[in-house]
Amino acid sequence: MADVINHVLNTMLGLNAPEWLIIFISNSIAVTLIFAIAPLQMLFMTYFERRAIARMQDRLGPNRVGPKGIFQPVADGVKMFTKEDIVPTAADKMVHLLAPCVVAAPVMFMFAVIPWGPGMYAVDLDTGLLFFFAISSVSAVGLMMAGWASYNKFALLGAMRAVAQMVSYEVPALISIAVIVMLTNSMSIVSIIEAQSGLFISQVDVAGIPDLGLGWFIFSPVGLLGFICFFIAALAEGERTPFDIPEADSEIVAGYMTEYSGMKFALFFLAQYLLNFLLCAITVITFFGGWQGPGISWLWSMAVSEANPAGNPIFNVLAGILGTFYFLAKTYFFFFVMIWIRGAFPRLRVDQLMGFGWKFVIPLTIVNIFSASLWIGWIRWELNPDLAFLSALGEPYSFARWGFAFVATLVMNVAAYTLMTRINRSPDETIDELVADQVFGAVTLR
Amino acid sequence: MKAEGTMIKTEELQINIGPQHPSTHGVFRMLVTVDGETIVDLKPVFGYLHRNHEQIAEVNTYLQNMPYTDRLDYFNSMANNQAYAMAVEKLAEIEVPERAEYIRVIMVELTRILNHASALGFLINDMGAWQTPLAFGMREREKILDLFESTSGARLMCNYFRFGGVVRDLPPDFVPRLQSLLTGLPTFIDEFERMLRENEILRIRSEGIGVLPKEVAISYSVTGPVLRGSGIPYDIRKAEPYSIYDRFDFDVPIGTVGDVYDRFLVRIEEMRQSKRILEQALKQLPDAEGGHINPKARQNIRPPVGDAYTRIESPKGELGFYLVSDGGQTPYRYKVRAPSFINLTPLSDMCRGYKVADVVVILGSIDIVMGEVDR
Repeated sequence: MADVINHVLNTMLGLNAPEWLIIFISNSIAVTLIFAIAPLQMLFMTYFERRAIARMQDRLGPNRVGPKGIFQPVADGVKMFTKEDIVPTAADKMVHLLAPCVVAAPVMFMFAVIPWGPGMYAVDLDTGLLFFFAISSVSAVGLMMAGWASYNKFALLGAMRAVAQMVSYEVPALISIAVIVMLTNSMSIVSIIEAQSGLFISQVDVAGIPDLGLGWFIFSPVGLLGFICFFIAALAEGERTPFDIPEADSEIVAGYMTEYSGMKFALFFLAQYLLNFLLCAITVITFFGGWQGPGISWLWSMAVSEANPAGNPIFNVLAGILGTFYFLAKTYFFFFVMIWIRGAFPRLRVDQLMGFGWKFVIPLTIVNIFSASLWIGWIRWELNPDLAFLSALGEPYSFARWGFAFVATLVMNVAAYTLMTRINRSPDETIDELVADQVFGAVTLR
Repeated sequence: MKAEGTMIKTEELQINIGPQHPSTHGVFRMLVTVDGETIVDLKPVFGYLHRNHEQIAEVNTYLQNMPYTDRLDYFNSMANNQAYAMAVEKLAEIEVPERAEYIRVIMVELTRILNHASALGFLINDMGAWQTPLAFGMREREKILDLFESTSGARLMCNYFRFGGVVRDLPPDFVPRLQSLLTGLPTFIDEFERMLRENEILRIRSEGIGVLPKEVAISYSVTGPVLRGSGIPYDIRKAEPYSIYDRFDFDVPIGTVGDVYDRFLVRIEEMRQSKRILEQALKQLPDAEGGHINPKARQNIRPPVGDAYTRIESPKGELGFYLVSDGGQTPYRYKVRAPSFINLTPLSDMCRGYKVADVVVILGSIDIVMGEVDR
């Protein structure tokens, strides 16, 4: 961002603006955009979810306000603003008021490290991923505050469930993300995305084939298992079906949100949807290449950047548009998957959720760490002096080693997955046997 | 439950699930004592919807009570009508023509299908599936309600039965419409069954949950799919055939364990059996014009002194009407044996030891309608 503003102000207009002014302008634009775009995303997401789930249920969904009901979220927002703010008499009023803010504010922070396209980020922290997850766990405090301050047993149960769930599912989420950090040697979100250029699996450039921006980690067995575990954990963190236990409407009314109305409720709602968006976004960033896609690197090579200060800012805009399109398309695809799951599955029980997390997902992620070490060991063997003699074997072998690493990690991960599914099912019983257990005895009395 | 020694001291918490709660299926309250998430005790409290049904029925004439029975179990107004009409017919010794009996059976079996379809939808909804299974069940229910509307003029409160028959004959397009509905039905039932059997989440939520052993079920005099889910092949249509049920060939499905899953499967199989009955009834349906009601039967009756009890296999269980006549225009005593009410009594035995989340599922698997529980 600063590069482009510097180029426009100083090179093209010749204003000779000082550096602090350029940084100030670029940061102001970034902050404004984040605060404008984040609620807009949420508005669109609620509309999208309602329409998509209505289609699955043979209904129409909101279709009255504006063309195809597109302004329905706006109408809902107006309604939320005009609603009475009800605070229970016995509630701890200060904490009750603060809780929605504590939940919603960290989510806005998390937008700061999300890159929307090449060069389109507010800050590029060296510890971007760590920042993302550290900030996301702050909202657990807000949930507990909400549940405790409401002085309502449903709210308390919901808050306990929410905190237990968030804490235990942060472990597999972080372990599966750690694999990506191992692969890229970086926690910076921007460099994680940049590492996913090139071709499938290898991220290496082959002569004659242009950079397609398809070197997504999902194409390797390590990335695939990491993605599966991470997405499961993301569903639990975002309180989505089948893990929407903290606000299980058929059991504990609305969980920690039971005693909230009006804008305070809307803030919880906003925080939850934005968290879902961000979890989809971080899935896309870490496993699906973020804004990477065919054409980006070609456009970016002609744009203004640190490597190419003499580029044309038009290409910055074009690369940004294409990158944002790729990023949002992928992110909304995963949000659609979340909606899809919501439309299809019932929810787990809280003890089943915990068992699933600790007995199934966490062991798998730990196995994945071993796979990742194997993968890295093989693809970077020239860095290992003991294995350096193998490089002498020549170019065909460098492809063979990718193949070997692929097969080895695939076998390891599939074996771990099969083993875990076996261990977690009751012994000596397959699914088919379970089905066969429950056959009818049809009886005719006369 | 609580390990002695090093455990942190825990305290039991009392939660009111209901009377206003999203999944108590009406105005029903469960006073739940929980230790963490585990149910220690559960006390069902009902009566919030009490509207003096039986007492009011004693000041109405016999015919005036017919639409009033619709309001008992508002999902199955046809079945309620039949049970009441049979009681009055027994009391006043009214004969029912052949065609009317067939029409009655068709209506009640359709009611059974629509009740089970929506009950299973609600059950999965209670497990947390966000309305999609419910929408599937409701879609099938709508088709049947359309048939009811074309026949009786009303979708829910049908008020279709009269003493000695039904109020009007079937419309001319009823039989082809019903036949096309029956052709589509197996697809729907298979889809519903697949949704349960092949969905691991649904299965771990329902298998081994809310087990009701045979002996307990009998001692609480539970009836209907809940009893059959516990493995007892008791169906009044077979045990004491009323109307013309002895002419049809159908099976009584029973469960093996008595958990939520078994009740689920029993209901699915009962829909299939109802379809079988409907097909046979359509084949045998007599073609007599105007035979839908006994022309000699008076509607504004004064039955002779005496009493009568009739029972039918309503979709929810044994629905009985007990009537005492003192020879006057109105019943001297009018008593309903409501299956929902009696099936609800073992709820605390079924829930103890399970989790909070299971309570709503167990309640959903009993399939109650508060209009019938509280009367």
